[in-house]
Amino acid sequence: MDPSKLDRRNFLKKSSLATLFGLSGATEIKAAPLPLRPEPDGSVSREPVNCALIGFGQWGREIAATMARLPEANLVAVCDDYDVMLRRVQREVPDATTHTDYREVLDNPDIQAVLIATPTHLHRDIAQAALEAGKNVYCEAPMASTVEDAKAIAQAARAASDQIFQVGQLYRSNPQHRSVFQFIRSGALGRPTMARAQWHAKQSWRRASPSRERERSLNWRLDPDVSLGLIGEEGLHQLDVAFWILDALPVAVTGFGQIMLWNDGRQLPDTIQAVFEFPNGVHLLYDATLASSFDAAYELYFGSDSTVIFRENGKAWMFKEVDAPMLGWEVYARKDKFYKETGIALLANATKLDAQNQDPTADDPNVESPLWYALKDFMDNHAFGPYPPAADYQRGFEAVVVAVKAHEAITQNKKVAFDAAWFSLD
Amino acid sequence: MTTVRLALEAMATRFELVVQGDDEVSLRAAGEEALAEITRLEVQLSFYRPSSEISRINAQAARGPVPVEPRLFRLLQTAQHLHKITQGAFDLTLAPLMRCWGFTGGTGTLPDPDALAEARQRTGMHLVSLDDAARTVAFARPGVLLDLGAIGKGYAIEEAALILAEAGVTRAFLHGGTSTMHAMGTPVEQPTWSVAVPKAPPLSCAATDENVLAVVDLKDEALSVSAVWGKAFVADGKTYGHVLDPRSGHPAQGALLAAVAGPSATVCDALSTALLVLGLDAADLFASFEDTLRAVIVCTHDETDTLDILQHRMPVHQV
Repeated sequence: MDPSKLDRRNFLKKSSLATLFGLSGATEIKAAPLPLRPEPDGSVSREPVNCALIGFGQWGREIAATMARLPEANLVAVCDDYDVMLRRVQREVPDATTHTDYREVLDNPDIQAVLIATPTHLHRDIAQAALEAGKNVYCEAPMASTVEDAKAIAQAARAASDQIFQVGQLYRSNPQHRSVFQFIRSGALGRPTMARAQWHAKQSWRRASPSRERERSLNWRLDPDVSLGLIGEEGLHQLDVAFWILDALPVAVTGFGQIMLWNDGRQLPDTIQAVFEFPNGVHLLYDATLASSFDAAYELYFGSDSTVIFRENGKAWMFKEVDAPMLGWEVYARKDKFYKETGIALLANATKLDAQNQDPTADDPNVESPLWYALKDFMDNHAFGPYPPAADYQRGFEAVVVAVKAHEAITQNKKVAFDAAWFSLD
Repeated sequence: MTTVRLALEAMATRFELVVQGDDEVSLRAAGEEALAEITRLEVQLSFYRPSSEISRINAQAARGPVPVEPRLFRLLQTAQHLHKITQGAFDLTLAPLMRCWGFTGGTGTLPDPDALAEARQRTGMHLVSLDDAARTVAFARPGVLLDLGAIGKGYAIEEAALILAEAGVTRAFLHGGTSTMHAMGTPVEQPTWSVAVPKAPPLSCAATDENVLAVVDLKDEALSVSAVWGKAFVADGKTYGHVLDPRSGHPAQGALLAAVAGPSATVCDALSTALLVLGLDAADLFASFEDTLRAVIVCTHDETDTLDILQHRMPVHQV
């Protein structure tokens, strides 16, 4: 056992082994520095978390750029097996070392956390290896592309109880979503009746490379053998919010999929629709397309007293029914008109904006991106934890189970009923 | 050989991209990645979004050094260098002056002299300091505002072109609002991409020979055109254009149009704005231009109704 890998927490746990080492005259066991330090002026400073990023594709770049705005995070290494991406790392994260083999960062004892942003079907091996190497792990969502892989990752995370495992279902960390969640929990919708969500874009979803072979691997999203398509790669985040808001997992899903625009030889649909049934009768209508960008992405929760909509970055509005009870505060709230509907803006920090005399109709300058809040939660866990994150391995596993079955329903145009046992990790 | 055309709305501009090659599917994919980069940069650089990196810098840099994303830092260093070589005609800190003159979202008004003086205290690149080792930016006093409007399009186009090249594209033409553009390689079976610089706003005149000021041939080169195009307001019998001269704090006089071609869309975008400010005084600047830069400036002659044309390795048609 390598003494340098023992930090204070583990030292206390493995004290019997430590005694054995002491008796045998083995190397002195050093405690790793505590993440929080009291400063002479009375403040508390934090040791930044040394992190490695594995995968510098579209989302990996976002993670790296976001980490630059988190002083608690120190991105020291980036791995990618594509040299073009590593050149981008050198331009955009010049202080980080670059690697083509992720095992190098797992072997580095100075790296405490690993962020996995590779193609989905490659998460499993890396996540398991990272947990085995004693690293804390932030694994992007979908956590995996098969139920079997997701189960393996979740079980490994569960077993590594001293280590942090957070899945990239980032809205669970978003203050806006949390605020609206509490609001809905307090009964603001009245009786929830239905939900609808969409993700629209006009893009082919393809990537290009001068190398034919690399182009094939870059286009894993369109590979029917490994990809969960639009419902997995985009819809999963919105579905996860629905499971949270509705406090339930679906009991059935019916799917439809078409290729409406991108007739470029692909097999996976570019336009999908899915209907999810929940135990209390609520149905969620979901659609996603790569053929039209109209109205981008949103989630609507209909209720007998009001309807709530979430738009990008967690912006939310409530549309009250005319006969719904008055809440009182709505008289002072900002209202925005959308054609014939008047939405009451739901702002997580409305009182703070007011106190700072800031214009509530403008974009809140204090608001960060959803990814920032998710990464902040991950870093905070290092200083104050380990505690189970809001987006933990169980949430990651459940989301994959739903995505896999929904993708099946969509590509085969059929209805799939969920067996509750599928969501169990045992 | 096939041609794919894509478009994007960003930075209050319509970007258009033409790519040529063998594989239509691949070309489109590369084009989408390039345009996605422009969207990404808009989020980072926008002066109008409170959550952009530039807005954060504007809010915090007067209180202390603010860390800057590496590529943006290099862009700010480039802007500082361009400010020096144009003798101050190119300046990213003009926003307070623009507001004073009513140019942001308005047609313009004569500013109150006190307000103008106050705004001038807050403008000037000398108030911006960049720490190369720490990669931070700091402002010498509160109220300084960085606005990358005069260089942002060129920078976005240059970064997008890099993405195209990495994806294997060799023939492409990318422009933002027809005023800043980059030409990669050549079009199929032609020696260069050709751009006509018109004498009047493009949508208001027919694309005939007599409306063409110059034809610029581009191959692996960028071009940026800045023009007054009649945007002006009249006060006390005097006409004021919308292009501010950072050195005087007043709208620049004289130059109608300036075009710069060179290897970097970022530099061309910035220089075309600077040349519009400098007018005929740019002759000195031309002397220090590298061989790779070409330019033309069109000014109204002081007394007569004719045009003065100053050109540097960029031939023009009869006017």
